[in-house]
Amino acid sequence: MQNARSDPSKPARFWLALILPMWVVFAIPVFAADKPLIAVASSLNGVIGPISQGFALHTGQQVRVSFGASGSLTRQIVQGAPFELFLSADKSYVDILIDNGLAATSSEIYATGRLVLFVPDNSPLPGNPALAELPSALEDGRLQRLAIANPEHAPYGRAARDALQFLGLWQTIQGKLLFGENVAQAAQFTTSGADAGIVSLSIAQDLASSGQGTYILLPESWHQPLHHYMVLLSPAGKVARAFYDYLKQSGAQQIFRKFGFSTPTPSQ
Amino acid sequence: MDWLAFSLSLQLAAWTTIVLIPIAVVVARVIAWRRFAAKGFIEALVALPLVLPPTVLGYYMLTVFSKNSLLGGAYQSLFNQSLAFSFEGLLLASLVINIPFAIQPMQRAFEAMPGELREAAWCSGLSRWQTFLRIEFPLAWTGILTAAVLTFAHTLGEFGVVLMVGGNIPGETKTIAIAIYDRVQAFDDRQAATMSALLLMFSFVAIGVIYFVNDRFKQRFH
Amino acid sequence: MQAKHGLRVHLEQAAPIPLNVSFDCRPGELVALVGPSGSGKSTVLRCIAGLNTPTEGLVACNGDEWLNTDRGLNQPPQKRAIGIVFQSYALFPHLSALENVTVAMQHVASDQRKTRALQLLRTVNLDGLDKRRPHQLSGGQRQRVALARALAREPSALLLDEPFSSVDQATRRKLQRELAGLRGSMAHPIILVTHDVEEACLLADRVCILYRGQSLDIGSPTKILNSPRHKLAANLVGLTNVFRGKIIAHQAERNITLLSWLDYELETRHCSRFAAGSTVDWVIPPQHILLHQRVRPSRGERENPVHGSIDELVVLGEAASVTLMVDDSSDATMTFNLPMHVVQRNQLKVRDNISVSLRTEGIHLMPPGVENG
Repeated sequence: MQNARSDPSKPARFWLALILPMWVVFAIPVFAADKPLIAVASSLNGVIGPISQGFALHTGQQVRVSFGASGSLTRQIVQGAPFELFLSADKSYVDILIDNGLAATSSEIYATGRLVLFVPDNSPLPGNPALAELPSALEDGRLQRLAIANPEHAPYGRAARDALQFLGLWQTIQGKLLFGENVAQAAQFTTSGADAGIVSLSIAQDLASSGQGTYILLPESWHQPLHHYMVLLSPAGKVARAFYDYLKQSGAQQIFRKFGFSTPTPSQ
Repeated sequence: MDWLAFSLSLQLAAWTTIVLIPIAVVVARVIAWRRFAAKGFIEALVALPLVLPPTVLGYYMLTVFSKNSLLGGAYQSLFNQSLAFSFEGLLLASLVINIPFAIQPMQRAFEAMPGELREAAWCSGLSRWQTFLRIEFPLAWTGILTAAVLTFAHTLGEFGVVLMVGGNIPGETKTIAIAIYDRVQAFDDRQAATMSALLLMFSFVAIGVIYFVNDRFKQRFH
Repeated sequence: MQAKHGLRVHLEQAAPIPLNVSFDCRPGELVALVGPSGSGKSTVLRCIAGLNTPTEGLVACNGDEWLNTDRGLNQPPQKRAIGIVFQSYALFPHLSALENVTVAMQHVASDQRKTRALQLLRTVNLDGLDKRRPHQLSGGQRQRVALARALAREPSALLLDEPFSSVDQATRRKLQRELAGLRGSMAHPIILVTHDVEEACLLADRVCILYRGQSLDIGSPTKILNSPRHKLAANLVGLTNVFRGKIIAHQAERNITLLSWLDYELETRHCSRFAAGSTVDWVIPPQHILLHQRVRPSRGERENPVHGSIDELVVLGEAASVTLMVDDSSDATMTFNLPMHVVQRNQLKVRDNISVSLRTEGIHLMPPGVENG
């Protein structure tokens, strides 16, 4: 085995080995510049994957997605996070960005969510629930814990509150509510100890298909509509804009519907 | 200013400290003074909550608290309410998370005491209990105080696990750290700032007490 | 070992520390346990105190049994009437000297404690220092507090674990003198553990040599230093002049035994224990080796003369340690001490040829030991 000190080519190889990875690391942003960062509300967890795959097939371009609660994402964007497109779960957060002059366009609806009552498998409530059951279940104590997203800041939480107020149950159910930070956590609570939960249709479909429980749609008239607004942000580049357009086209819209969202009619 | 959340945080911190400290005294003494094969293993276990992310702890808490598990099921049948999403469940999680904060300072304090001091006490006629009261405790009390204050302050600030297993129930599991997070999410910066400032001041005073006391005590014997 | 009063100790154990020790200590007697580190002497003391428990053993004091493994009896230290002084004193740092002493007075009525404690402190020459904390006392003062605390318990036996090893030489001498002085007023058996043979012989009535947990020999300091049981015991007390010889014959009428060693025929005190022709180990303490002075020849030159050359001459203060290579053969060397003025007067230096006399009454015969002792 050759002594490292005696071999004149060794030092050169050592420095090359050191510099090469650094170059790769620093060069990555250059390569990634064509893959814009998209901020997506976590209630769109399941649906974005197939949509971006469709986008890639269609245009050959790719996007990078960052999930979070709408509120968190908004705050990050305000702080300067390099997102180029924001898919929110409601209007208010998008408006904040517009008010702060961070948007490149005005906001548009890309999908509308639906609320459901989800009953997990091991719940004292019966499967395939009838909504009329709710008040009696409350009264006789079968419903001890109902999970919803936090109405203070989560769009699906606000809608859940609307629905409960509509049913006149909001006051009586106070001590029995569990608040998830977002609708995804509300769903998680539902499957890990709550007796039932009010979550989004897309999440409920997902849970039901894996056999974790059953659900029933809440009528849209019981709550403010869950319009999902999106907005292009100032740094938006070509690919981001292309993705923005793609979301409004029939291919993407079909996928939204498949995942339990309703889609805007052309006039909206 | 969410006084309910603040009061809840104080209660959680107080109960955690009251329950954990006596247990920690016993355990810390044993680890400090007994020589046994599994000592390193036990010390690693004690230190584990320090290095695990709260999400790991939260995940295990959820599993253990659920109605289907041994503990959760037993609790449910005994008290007819679920362990998850309750103050008691939070307290239990808090006890586990604070184990290193409670045990380690005490263990150091006991270890700093030469074994011969206890032996001299026994050979002077003091019973084991009298030895603890009159010799061990006066020499180790700064360690015990540090452990208590650290546990209290750390529980006040506990966030990750509470977020995962609490359910954010006002008056039950909505601690002030969660309240601050919610205000930030809702873009209510004024409230968030007020509550953060309060928590900051509280923690600073707590840590300040520890350092002050340790400093003064150290001067006495040297 | 039939002393009904005083301390009776018998300890036996194979692991973790091997022990095989038996001795007794009468009231008012001081027995020193001597041995190199690792010999188990502290362990023995701790077993007497109740801090360690041997696999098998018996410890009794004044008829009270403290430990009896056969009967399953094992009193904790609190129930044994012992007073112990630790090597590091183990004073309670948060208590004053007075409070350290009163801690050991649980058996005394509380209103009497302070007076008695002050009295004790006076006995150990610590008058006026009762309010000081240990960190405000010197090493020697701390040792005295530790002793006062041990005595405060009014113990039936006093145990001292290397009590003088952590202080300087001058203080040590002082404390040793004080202990010797205090003994007059103490009626307890006292066990002193030390690695210093000299100290043991200074203070003890009897000395017990320990080696790897075995008690090798026990006897008065004179006996230990001049008549060790065997080569190992001799080495442990610092006697290096141990040689192998052979008994030639006994001459009872002249009260001598003839011993063959190298080319010499040595005369020793008559010792019928060893048969003629048998091999023995023999030892001569340095003080029994006398130089044949060149300048002033003495009358004793006829007694067991031995010749050789000086191999080493080490000056240690006012005396010199001389190592003699007997018959210029490096197999047999003898070490003895000479005052510096003798060295100078005789102008002794390394490689000088000299002669010495081995005093008959200084040669002590022992059964032959294993060569690697």
